[in-house]
Amino acid sequence: MSAATPLFDAQVRSTAQAQLDAFVSANPGIKMAVLTSSDGFEIAAHPMQPVTQRIAAMSSSLQALSEAIAREAGLSESRNLVVESPNGTIVVLGLANTTPRMSLAVVGAGDEILGRLLWLARNCGQSLEAALKA
Amino acid sequence: MNPQEMKIVFTGPMGAGKTTAIRSISDIPPVSTEVGNNDKQSHGKDSTTVALDFGQLLLDDGTPVKLYGTPGQQRFSFMWEILCQGALGVVLLIDGNSPNALEEFGHYVDVFNKIAPEQPLIIGIGRRPPSVSDEFAQVLAQRGIVAPIYDVDVRRREDVLLLVETLLCILESQVEETA
Repeated sequence: MSAATPLFDAQVRSTAQAQLDAFVSANPGIKMAVLTSSDGFEIAAHPMQPVTQRIAAMSSSLQALSEAIAREAGLSESRNLVVESPNGTIVVLGLANTTPRMSLAVVGAGDEILGRLLWLARNCGQSLEAALKA
Repeated sequence: MNPQEMKIVFTGPMGAGKTTAIRSISDIPPVSTEVGNNDKQSHGKDSTTVALDFGQLLLDDGTPVKLYGTPGQQRFSFMWEILCQGALGVVLLIDGNSPNALEEFGHYVDVFNKIAPEQPLIIGIGRRPPSVSDEFAQVLAQRGIVAPIYDVDVRRREDVLLLVETLLCILESQVEETA
């Protein structure tokens, strides 16, 4: 699997990459953002690093698990998943309005407030959905 | 063997039938994490498991056996290690009709021999053509591994049960040997 996987249209990848570049650059509290297909392929990431491919696969697993546990618990759907650690927070959210289905993983720095991180991640997700639909 | 912690892992390449096998024998509605498959070059199937399958089989004495299925693709190998923690044994499923069946088989045997070296391995080959009848056994022999190989149709409950029952028999004999 290469970082620029050919499974997805070049226009989709370049549009998503531009969105993530702008998102991370504008928000110093964001350390990383990875856009992933539902089956674990990295579509775009900022910064682009070898680890982002693994994060892409892991975030698709987590997204699928969060949807499964929501179903089992009788909830309608999983909006997002939050992983908190002493030195940072990861938010994984499904982007329902994308084809193919995608998820976004956003890694926040330790001093980023969870509420703000969620707000930023959801805004980024909505921007991605709109840009990829256009 | 603690009856409270009976856990078996089903693994194998994409399209080997892990999700179907668990569905065939689970006594509860299985938990699935299937999503759309975008990589049709690797396999033509429409969906693929990205985290795990989970089911449960109740033995005749009421003992529950928890059944975990792994994703098949290498990029999800982190799940292989997670799911094998605490597992009593591994069922390796292979599509015998795949053009890379023997290579895939050797790869999975090597990987799971490292991840779960103490756990018994049972092998189920689906759609095996007669021309490769002995080659899977040769792959094991080259590695000095002894493990039962069965031809299976994972859609058939009795075929999958045979794999599980063989695994349980091996575990039981190990317990008797150490007693």
